[in-house]
Parts: sequence; structure tokens; C-alpha cells
Amino acid sequence: MVQLTLPKNSQVTQGQSWPAPTSPKGEVKEFRIYRWNPDDKANPRIDTYSVDMGDCGPMVLDALIKIKNEQDPTLTFRRSCREGICGSCAMNIDGTNTLACLKSCDDVKGAVKVYPLPHMPVVKDLVPDLTRFYAQHRSIEPWLKTTSAEPKAEWKQSPQDRAKLDGLYECILCACCSTSCPSYWWNGDRYLGPAVLLQAYRWLIDSRDEATGDRLDDLEDPFRLYRCHTIMNCAKACPKGLNPAKAIAEIKKMMVERQL
Amino acid sequence: MNVQATSGFGPAKAFSVGGRSYAITDHTFDVVVVGAGGAGLRAALGASQAGLRTACVTKVFPTRSHTVAAQGGVAAALGNMGPDDWRWHMFDTVKGSDWLGDQDAIEYLCRNAPAAVYELEHFGLPFSRTEDGKIYQRPFGGMTTDFGEGPPAQRTCAAADRTGHAMLHTLYGQSLRYQTEFFVEYFALDLIMEDGVCRGLMALSMEDGTLHRFRAQRVILATGGYGRAYFSATSAHTCTGDGNAMALRAGLPLQDMEFVQFHPTGIYGAGCLITEGSRGEGGYLTNSEGERFMERYAPHAKDLASRDVVSRAMTIEIREGRGVGPQKDHIFLHLDHLDPKVLHERLPGISESARVFAGVDVTRQPIPVLPTVHYNMGGIPTNYHGEVLAGNPKNEEAIVPGLMAIGEAACVSVHGANRLGSNSLIDLVVFGRAAGLRCQETVTADASQADLPANAGEAAIARLDKFRHASGAMPTADLRLRMQKIMQTNCAVFRTGEVLEEGRKLIKAVWKDSGDIKVTDRSLIWNSDLIETLEFDNLITQAVATVESAAARKESRGAHAREDFAKRDDKTWMKHTLAWTDDAKRSVKLGYRGVHKYTMTDEVSYIKPKARVY
Amino acid sequence: MSSFRTPLGRVRGLGSAKSGTAHFWQQRATAIAGVPLVLFLIWLAVNLAGADYATARSLLSHPAVTIVLALSFFVILKHMRLGMQVIIEDYVHVESWKMIVLLANSVFTYVVGAGALYALARLTFGAMQ
Repeated sequence: MVQLTLPKNSQVTQGQSWPAPTSPKGEVKEFRIYRWNPDDKANPRIDTYSVDMGDCGPMVLDALIKIKNEQDPTLTFRRSCREGICGSCAMNIDGTNTLACLKSCDDVKGAVKVYPLPHMPVVKDLVPDLTRFYAQHRSIEPWLKTTSAEPKAEWKQSPQDRAKLDGLYECILCACCSTSCPSYWWNGDRYLGPAVLLQAYRWLIDSRDEATGDRLDDLEDPFRLYRCHTIMNCAKACPKGLNPAKAIAEIKKMMVERQL
Repeated sequence: MNVQATSGFGPAKAFSVGGRSYAITDHTFDVVVVGAGGAGLRAALGASQAGLRTACVTKVFPTRSHTVAAQGGVAAALGNMGPDDWRWHMFDTVKGSDWLGDQDAIEYLCRNAPAAVYELEHFGLPFSRTEDGKIYQRPFGGMTTDFGEGPPAQRTCAAADRTGHAMLHTLYGQSLRYQTEFFVEYFALDLIMEDGVCRGLMALSMEDGTLHRFRAQRVILATGGYGRAYFSATSAHTCTGDGNAMALRAGLPLQDMEFVQFHPTGIYGAGCLITEGSRGEGGYLTNSEGERFMERYAPHAKDLASRDVVSRAMTIEIREGRGVGPQKDHIFLHLDHLDPKVLHERLPGISESARVFAGVDVTRQPIPVLPTVHYNMGGIPTNYHGEVLAGNPKNEEAIVPGLMAIGEAACVSVHGANRLGSNSLIDLVVFGRAAGLRCQETVTADASQADLPANAGEAAIARLDKFRHASGAMPTADLRLRMQKIMQTNCAVFRTGEVLEEGRKLIKAVWKDSGDIKVTDRSLIWNSDLIETLEFDNLITQAVATVESAAARKESRGAHAREDFAKRDDKTWMKHTLAWTDDAKRSVKLGYRGVHKYTMTDEVSYIKPKARVY
Repeated sequence: MSSFRTPLGRVRGLGSAKSGTAHFWQQRATAIAGVPLVLFLIWLAVNLAGADYATARSLLSHPAVTIVLALSFFVILKHMRLGMQVIIEDYVHVESWKMIVLLANSVFTYVVGAGALYALARLTFGAMQ
């Protein structure tokens, strides 16, 4: 049945408080950051850092990097492009899943609470294990499938048909949406989740693809698709402003349409 | 140190370093690709398609690679938007390279570009479209028609302003169709070399801290550039040129390292990229007087001149007191005159970036921009098959058996002294594909491979252990910052002998001080402190090679602009710089290699050097 | 117990059930149909408030009312069962338990339905007490 109690090792303890900067140039902001080290077998803890925002870039990622550079090099998180396109630095900031590089520290009132993406196994600190998420993405076969003889030049596509991919192809696979979805929390082993379903719809609606029916067959499942209960957390969380819930609704529409 | 076989099945081994035992897992593949950006994925795909057992070792999940940040497009003479010819593309690329590019390789690139783009489209890349359903192409800097005589060419195939993202995700999706085995979040440590032959690779699995020894018939380095040697770069934090540094440690030279491209339009402060496509769609630059100053510097191409030309013009404007902002230290990029519909359809990504990182609404306000380090023309010297050149002065074309390099890590050299915008994405796929084809021709699937030497990988583990337990006085972040500031100041858009000399001394001091480095995190699982230290160690050798190469080249060519030698000097300097580093002695050795003054086929003739005016 | 199954193998699992669409649209159809039917039930309840047995019985055994009542039971029970099924599938993760609870859900619905039909039949055909 439903597990109502937390396993013992998931209880988060109060960690270390790092000294505040002396003679700061600007506002000093507090960062409460989830820490867990697989080596020491201890429970996760919340460490508190103080950052001089007068000497720091505006984004949460800037602050995390500053903490790592100047205070605690053991603080562990993923980051790469720092401009919101690679999807590495997805984490839970101030209670919302988002990209640290796009989240302004000013948008958070009071202390900035930083946790890893929820309901994912944690590898270390803010680094979640996304293996299953990636495998789910792979399972929808994210490539163009055609049977007709390939043209020498491009497959033709009208600007109108191409416009149908807008709002879909921009997905960066950061997993902010999927890990904000309660349905994905409860049934992530069988429900594909908003990100992967959005990706699936990107291929379903591509006018060049010839495997629409097969793709729909593969998705028609009480768990893979129909665990979406339009909770809409996905659309709220997406740092790229995409709407996975709408894509899922469109898939459901296609499912009904092909039966009528 | 000793090697001992541990019990159990298979060839499990362990190296003991400083009393600590490091177990290693052995793997055997036909081909090992290092890096999963555009070039690495395309090469892995090709090798897998050829039936070769292929591994792709990457320190980030493939779609996080920096190809994802490319915006403007991929150049290929499709002629969808007007007449075009791959020979015109070739002329532009040669001119853009300031005649430092090898013309046989440039021919290979431009001739194969259209097929490579169609292939991407067939893979599913969501290109923007013309009314008649073809791939949309936009103008880009330095791209012209009729051998530079005609109007600007519309040659750059685009998926809005997210072409790199679309390309990387498409290539990743495609690679899932084949049997490529991905080793994700594995950090490549070093090449395994034996008698001048590359035999494999050592890597660290970040997830669990295990060490892996790959034996392969071919290792393909596709590790990208080293933009993070500079303080302000459009490059991702992960652009640390790990493959370049591995080549240096293997005793191989890097080529043309002095040529570092500054992108004219990095967002002031944040350094994030604003695509050249924004000028391709009609955007222009102004100074504090509101003047469209590019008309003075490049009367013909104006804002669509080559990147080095625009970056220099901007730097001069700022230097002469015509910069904008309270400090008069940047320039404005105007898009506010463009139709909001065009902005929405063609440039949605940069509109968003400008809003987030500059607080600017592009439909009403100009974007504050500054030339920002963007691309390394230099890298591992290769021929146009992707095979790494050994840097042998007696036989300049001699290759290193078993080793290939592609993408930004490689110096083929198609970009010479300056790369044209949208030529990097085409470089990735054309030479990624070339490397796959070369493997198909020269590698036999499942051929038996000789045993690796017993101590293969030992040095890599010793280096890892040294840094893991480094307890000096200087944290990695401090040394890295020093290096970045020096590179930014002493090896910038304009260079002089004096400034470069100072740079040589300063950067060498950092190199020396790196012996006193301090690492805090001692664990092996996701130890990003250690990884950043290994990356810094990779960066510093490349930074030194860059400054040394720059100080030696006494001429101005492409991105290398010497104020004390303002002219191009084809008589003395039409040659590639080669730089070797010796980590133990902290020294750099320079050498030179001739530029290929011939083409690949008879269908196009050698383009003779002339003055480079836009 | 560690499994050596690949992540893709695990995700693909037993494959697609190739069903769920019927459940999806039936749940929505019964929801929409339920709106007028529930309004009808409210109307009926209001009408019968305070009425004596004979009045109530004569109204309930009117053919039109009986038919609409039967329809209401069918639609509402169907909706209830489908909705409950979703909740069970969402939250019950032990396979054996899930089977039992899903079965119980169906059995409960059929028992309630049968009872309701029996009551209607008695109202219509049964002898006046």
C-alpha cells in the first residue's frame, strides 16, 4: 500500500553554518543547501552559506559557483552552459523546480533554499540520478521514422506544419517538469512523465514522420500516458515556458480521434 | 607502484598509488569517441553504422554538450534562397581564414556540406522553412556570392535561433537507433600511447568513482574548445579542451593556438551569446554617437563583415571613447527596428536571453554587447579524414596511428586564422561524418588487439591521485581565476609584443604555482572539486601554448591582430604554428608546418592570397 | 537484490497495454452525462421532500422517472468505478493488493447497481404495501 512513513535515512538534519562575509559590498543573502555525501553514510543535511550579493552575479547558479569557489569546494552540482539551454543545473529552488542559471536570487524573498530535483535518487548533494528519465526518453524512439523513398534533398515541410513543432522542440530535457509532477512521483516507473510525453508529441505531430500510428500504439497505456491528471505542475515548472500538459492533452485527443 | 591482478573473473586489475589501490575495469572496443557534442555524436553514429563496436565517453550527458548553445545556423550552399555554389562557400571560407586554412580540407568541407545538411534533415532536424517547404537559410557574416563579388549569400540553414540545440538533440536521438555504448559522466583522463601509437583511453566514472581502461583500434577526440581559459567567454563551464590537453600530455603538438575568436556580440556582463544571425536578420551595431560605425570599417559587408573585423572595430570604437554605457565600455546591438513577428519567428531564443541576462526588451531597446571569447580555431592538427598529424618536421603529413580528432578540438585546418559564423556546425557534421567513414575504411570490426602494456594507464591514475590528495596553498578556483584574467588582459582582440611578453611571464607563473594547488574534496564519487582541478590542469597548458604561439607570430592575420605588426606577412608567416608543452619542465616548444597550397580535386583551383577587405 | 536489467529494458517493461483510451473517454462521457442526471436527482429529491410513501412511490414508479433513474444509476456508478480505478492505480503499488482492490471496486459497483435495479423493479412491478 502507500508508504506513509519516510525511510530513516531520508530525514534531513541541520548541517553546518558557514561564516558570513566580513565587510560585504552589498546585501548578504543566505543560502540553505541540501547536502548529502554517499561516502559518509550519514543522513542528508542542510548547510547554510552567506553570500555577498554585491560581489556576485545575479543568478542562483552564480551564487552556487561563488560558494564553491570561495567557501566550500565540496559543494556538488551540475552546471554547464549557464544560459538556460543545456539543462544541466535543474534543481529545486525556493520550492520550485527550475534552472539555477535562469533563476534570479532577487526573485527569492529571504533565504534561498536549494534542493535536488524531488523524488529522484540522489547521487550527491544537488546531483540527481536521471538514468530512468533518459531511458524513458529513449523508449519513445526520438528520431524521424520514414518508409517512403528518401528524397535527395530535404523532406518538404510547410511553414505552417513546421510551426506545429514550436513549443515542443525547444525542450532541453532538464526534467524540471517530470520531477514536479505528483503522478510521476507516484508512478514514475510506468508513467512516462510530462517531458517524455512532450517529446513523444513532438514526433507525433511532425508532418515528415510516417510512424504516427505505431507511436500512438506504443503510448496507449493506462500508465504510460493516462497517468496524466492535468495537475499542470509541469507547465508551471518549465523554465523554457513550454506546456507539456497541453502536448499530453493533444496526444489524448489523437487517441480518441483515431477511434472515431 | 605495482600492478596486481585481483581475484574473480575477467581482467580486473588494480594500480596501487601512494598506498592507495585503484581498481580498474577493462573494456575493448573498435572505436572510442571522446565527447558527445555534434562532432562526437556524428562520428559515433558513423562508426556504429559501419558495424564497428563503438563507445562514446562523455563527461556530460550528450544533450548538455556545448553544441546545444549554437544559435545562428549551419552553412551549406543549398541555394534555397537564391543562387549559390559550394565554390563560393569555399572562397568565403578561405578569405575568412585569412589564407591560413588548408584549401584541400576547405574544399572537402564545402563540397560535402549540402549532403551533410540534408542528412541532418532526414534525421529529423526541425529546420525553419521557406514558403515552398525548403530549409530556410539566412545571411551570415562573411558569406557572399560570386567569389566575394556578389551580394551577401543566404547560406546559413537555421532552426530559428536554436540550430545547435536542434542539431544536438537530433543527433542524440539518431544515435539511440544504433548500438553505440554511451559512457555518460565519464571524465577522460589520458590517452594510452605505445610507441607513438594511440591504443586507448583512461577514464573516471564520476557516478561511482571507478576507473576504466578502454582499449581500442581508434580513439576519436571530439572534446571541443577551451574557451574557459578566458575570463569572459560564451563557452560553457565545461569547455575546457580536455582532449587538447590529453594530446599535449601524449607528446603531441597543438596547432594555431594563437587564433582565438572573439564573438562581437556577447551580452555585456553575462557573456551569453547573441547570435550573428541577429545581424543576418537585419540587426546593426551603434556607438555612443548612435552611428552605425561598421559602415566605416567594412563599407561593403557592414555589420555582416567577418567576426574578427567586427570585434576589432568595436574594440577601436570603445578605445576611442565612443563606447556606450556609464563606463563607455560596450556597444549597442539594435534589433528594435525589426518586425516583432520576425523577432518572434526567427530570433525567439536571443529575445529571451536578452531579457533574462541584460534586462532588455529587444523590440524596444538595444542589447548591450561586447566582443567575447567564443571559439578556438586552433587545436589538434589533423588531415581532412580526421587523422591526427604527428607534427613530424621531416614528414609533415605523418599521422599518429590510432588517433583522430574532430570538431572544435581539431585544427583541420578549415578555419585558419578566423572562422566564419555557421561554419563550425558544418565542420562538426562534415568531419564527424568523415571520421566515421575513415573508420569504416580502415578499421576491421572485432579485429584482435594486442594486449596493452602492463602499466598502461598507470601515469593517468598517478596524476589523478596527485590532484585528489593535493594539499598545497592555492585553491583551484584562485589559480583558475588568475589564469583567466591574464588571458583576458594579455591575449585579447588586439595584441602587442609588450603585452604578450608580460602575458608569457604571468601565465608561466600560474603554471608554476599550479604545483602548489589545493583540492578540498577527497572523495571519488562526483568529486567536482577534483574534476575542476583536472580541467584547470588541462586549461593551463593550453593557455600557455596560446600565449607562446601568439608572442611568436609577428604579423596580423585573422583573429591574431598585432598592433606592432599590423600587416599580414605571407612570405614569413603563411604557416601553421605547432606548440608542444612539457609539463615537468613547464616549458613550451614551438615549430611550424606549411599551409596546404593546393585543393583536393581539379574541380576548383587554389585561391591565391589577396588583401582581405569586406 | 540488484537487477542487471538495462534501464531501457526496465522502462519498456511488459510493453504497452494498448488500452486506456476507452477508459479515458468513458470517464469524460459519464462525467458530462452525469450533469443533467444529477440535476434530475436533485429535482426529484426536492419534489419528494416531505411527501408521504404513496406519493413518493407513485412518482418513482412513473415510467419516465424509472427509466431516467435507471440511467442515472448506470452512468454514475460507471463514473464512480472508473474514477476509483484511477485512484487505486495511482496509489496502490503492490501488485497483489492492487488486483484485489480493483476487483473489490468492480464487485462493489455491481452489487450497488444490482441492488438499485432490484429496488426500481420492485417499485414498478411489486405489489403495493
